[in-house]
Amino acid sequence: MGLFVFLPLVLPLTAWPVTRLAEHHLHPRTATRLLSGLAAVMAVCSTVCLGLLMVVGTAQLPGNPLPDGWSDPEVREAVPYDEFAGKAAIPALLAVALNCGRTLWRHRRVCRLAHRALAGLPLTEVAVLPDETPYAYALPGGRRDRIVVTTALLDHLQAAERRALFAHERAHLTAGHHRHLLAVRLAAQANPFLRPLRTAVAYTAERWADEDAARAVGSRRTVARAIGRAALVSHGAPHVTLAGFAAPGPVPRRVTALLGPAPAVRRRPSLFTAAGLAVWGAAAGAAVSAMSSANAAVTMLVILHAATPL
Amino acid sequence: MTDHRRRPPRRAQGELEASVLSALREADGPATAGWVQERLGGGLAYTTVITILTRLLAKGAVTRERSGRSFAWLPASDEAGLAAHRMRRVLDAERDREAVLASFVTGLGPEDERLVRELLAQQPSDDADADAGDDAADAAPSPAGRPAQPHAERRARSRPRPGTDGED
Repeated sequence: MGLFVFLPLVLPLTAWPVTRLAEHHLHPRTATRLLSGLAAVMAVCSTVCLGLLMVVGTAQLPGNPLPDGWSDPEVREAVPYDEFAGKAAIPALLAVALNCGRTLWRHRRVCRLAHRALAGLPLTEVAVLPDETPYAYALPGGRRDRIVVTTALLDHLQAAERRALFAHERAHLTAGHHRHLLAVRLAAQANPFLRPLRTAVAYTAERWADEDAARAVGSRRTVARAIGRAALVSHGAPHVTLAGFAAPGPVPRRVTALLGPAPAVRRRPSLFTAAGLAVWGAAAGAAVSAMSSANAAVTMLVILHAATPL
Repeated sequence: MTDHRRRPPRRAQGELEASVLSALREADGPATAGWVQERLGGGLAYTTVITILTRLLAKGAVTRERSGRSFAWLPASDEAGLAAHRMRRVLDAERDREAVLASFVTGLGPEDERLVRELLAQQPSDDADADAGDDAADAAPSPAGRPAQPHAERRARSRPRPGTDGED
């Protein structure tokens, strides 16, 4: 399998151009699905290869529980730089497993605790909480999906803007955006090169909900105003993950996008534009990633099978 | 480990707190823990009621005053206030809650704040008739100082959108 086993570890880099261009050139729905799909495929492939490397590395450790034949020269020859790569893969895969497990556990825990906090209130779709801190979010799972919003935020919005807010959160819930977000967060833990996709999907999912809300309330302007106002009243907590960037943050970009024309839905991006090239480049990267990891996995299985004493 | 043993009461904790609070709110004036226990029925131990009342006291949802040798309890907030308090605790405990719960807006830096104010200022001040006038404002000829952008928007919106929902 040679160097093929290392390819899926670095091929996520092919998704970087589309991450940059998706925001302006793709419909937010297309962008969210494309980017989270790419992230999931590439993360799985990269983890499979890490696992193969780890098997080779573990077989070399003294006192390992694997069959003795697995540390034979034939097996080690299958992986270039087997000594270093194999041993480096062990802590890497452990870190991936640990971080993914923690991400998943925290996601479940926050959802569970948030649903439990609402126990005792009538089981309506919208839960209005009397609180001076303005916030609103979509809460999936539990006995039913819910929208949580505080009186402080509602007080600052006009009736049409409130409708826009509810339409936005409802769009998150009906489209299941939390699944996309969880997928890219797990992918970013599996391979650091996939981190830009996490930021990009967090933004395109918001844009997707914005566009759905604009269609539901029939006015892009109202949604833009609702976002702007909500952000201005809740500006007390700056978004830390983006601090230090000179570019405008997600909120001004969302407002600007809503004040412009609605994005067009294109079936297949042309190959002759920068965005089209980026999409196809990333798709090719994901395909090569999948083929290399499949190739590496099959080769490894055959070699290990031959090396296992019967 | 302890999680397994204590699971049933833990799951019901939020609902128990809510029902104790609503029982207190039904009383006319201060009520004792014994009265709450009677009112709730359902085999709740006296100590459980006391525990829940103490927990509600810590959350600021009830107050108490001494009457004779025991306490009389008074509700300080309703179920929604209690839920708001619990939700704040959940959110404050989570360092990067934006990562878990997609919130409507993320916070703004100083530069972002200026940008958003500018963007909103470009909009006609239709605060008074925002409810009724949104679409009317879009379709009306643009007032002075408004760029040509409404036309683009109108074009985009009047264009037939075949199957926008199912298209992909």
